[in-house]
Amino acid sequence: MNNISLETLKEWSKLGHRSSFGESLVLLAREKKDVVVVSADITTTARLVNFQKEFPDRFFNVGIAEQNMIDFSAGLAKEGLMPFAVTVAAFAPMRCAEQVRSMIGYMNLNARIAGIEAGCRFGPLGNTHYAMDDIAVMRAIPNFTVVCPADPHEILKTVFAAGDHKGPIHIRLTGAPGFPLIYPDDFDFELGKAIEYRPGEDVAIIATGSVLWEAIQAADILEKKGVSVRVIDMHTVKPIDVKMLDSVFSQNQLVVTVEEHNIIGGLGSAVAEYKAGFDKAPKQIMCALSDSFKKIGNYKFQLKENGLLAEDIAEKVERSLKTPMK
Amino acid sequence: MEKTYLAKEIIEKAANMRRDCIEMGFAAGSEGAHFGPALSCVDIVATLFFGVMKHDPKNPEMPDRDRFVLSKGHASLAYYAALIESGYIPKDMISQFKGNNSILCGHPSMNLRYGIEVTTGSLGNGLPVACGLAMAAKVKGESHNVYCIVGDGECNEGIIWEAAFNAAKYNLDNLIAIIDVNGFQLSGVTADVMPMNLDGLWGATGWELFHIEDGNNVEEVLQKLKLIKDTKSGKPKAILAKTVKGKGISFMENNLAFHATPINEEQYKAAIADLENAEKVRKQQ
Repeated sequence: MNNISLETLKEWSKLGHRSSFGESLVLLAREKKDVVVVSADITTTARLVNFQKEFPDRFFNVGIAEQNMIDFSAGLAKEGLMPFAVTVAAFAPMRCAEQVRSMIGYMNLNARIAGIEAGCRFGPLGNTHYAMDDIAVMRAIPNFTVVCPADPHEILKTVFAAGDHKGPIHIRLTGAPGFPLIYPDDFDFELGKAIEYRPGEDVAIIATGSVLWEAIQAADILEKKGVSVRVIDMHTVKPIDVKMLDSVFSQNQLVVTVEEHNIIGGLGSAVAEYKAGFDKAPKQIMCALSDSFKKIGNYKFQLKENGLLAEDIAEKVERSLKTPMK
Repeated sequence: MEKTYLAKEIIEKAANMRRDCIEMGFAAGSEGAHFGPALSCVDIVATLFFGVMKHDPKNPEMPDRDRFVLSKGHASLAYYAALIESGYIPKDMISQFKGNNSILCGHPSMNLRYGIEVTTGSLGNGLPVACGLAMAAKVKGESHNVYCIVGDGECNEGIIWEAAFNAAKYNLDNLIAIIDVNGFQLSGVTADVMPMNLDGLWGATGWELFHIEDGNNVEEVLQKLKLIKDTKSGKPKAILAKTVKGKGISFMENNLAFHATPINEEQYKAAIADLENAEKVRKQQ
């Protein structure tokens, strides 16, 4: 599977996370006959048309009915199929959280729930379509693995890893069309195992989702100013990679978490929860969405408004390094 | 199940199940139990387990078993009683209903070893999951049926209708939903709590609609289910079965006070006496 061409990845990068995901599903379904897709009337939006064309008997559109999509998927998974339930991240898990918990989490089924347009991506459509709470909801449901891939290649890796995983998975998709290709070459990917994208000594920036790109750019800015920055791709927010966190807490003097999610309940919270058990651990800066409903605006606007652009992250780090710890 | 039971034998099984329901519910002490909603559907569940469904308690995961989903999961007493009488659950577990660390939760929690097919209890969710089970059978080319018991009050849940239309769209004629129309729900008479024309609504879903006049009459339930279970019209099948809430225990019948409640020793004895009297009457016939 690893032989995806650079040209394809570049094309996916242009098209965005929806096409990257939809095409990854097609590739997985060619290899695994038990893979089926369930959509709540999001077929074209989620770029599932190619899947539907190639696998018409393995594609189900349950109508605009997210709760039914989840329960129907639970039934399919219960019988040994591997459903990917796909809709807009603002509607799954929130619209169907109880079904996600009781019928997939509780029964610990091999169902996958994918939310497109998570984080800052749906800004122009308004807060009804703005998924900034999905990690918080999903982290609180036992048995679920929660994954936020950062680029087209990691989306492909996530989909294939999901194909081999036992237990339910939530896949959170972020980033606008044109989202950068962070991993042009083949790389090792394992659910639950963070990737040290770049080593560094002073500061560790831990990011999840497409905003990893901003974290990398922030590291570049800081490196030029003499700050050694480690960048970690925490693609799996649950279960969080505690080995990587152990390493960060013992080796780096400042931790920065970066995510397109409410500051409550996301990656930053997960890191802080684990850090709470340490006698001595570094200070943490949480770069996340403030706990408020947002103004409307495009992806870049949302990143700027919420201090998630590279220069904003770098500035927060610089400020913090100048301020002695209390 | 290898053995096919006659209606007369299923009636005896249902009588045993009623007794199991009372024993389990009484064993739960102050935790109480949903007596009324379980007793209304005991005869339907008994007919499914002993006269209709293909299953094998010695091989609970037999791939071609018919699937059973109790969408009205609060009627778990009836489900567990069927599993006890079938031999999935040992009889000595009766005392463990709602007990600490028991598998016999107030609402069924999936446990195939003991014959519990699907987790239910959050109303509305059993039917759409049953649709998934039926769809999977179609995808995999399997020929078993999926039976799902839905409460009439449960039909208040919007997801029931999402599932109903979905099942019709995908031609799930291997799915049979039996709606236990006992006329009551937690806070009152179903017609008052939320007036719904179940005939009209189910008739509009694209399912084949059937009726059972007396859902506590095993002969009628058996006859109807046998008649329709293997027909392949391309449509899922719904049966509106009129039942009596609390059926078989005189003071529980049509009495909302026994929807979900603990019973004391006096009530327990009175319930057992009712069941023993009914047994005497059956023997005289």
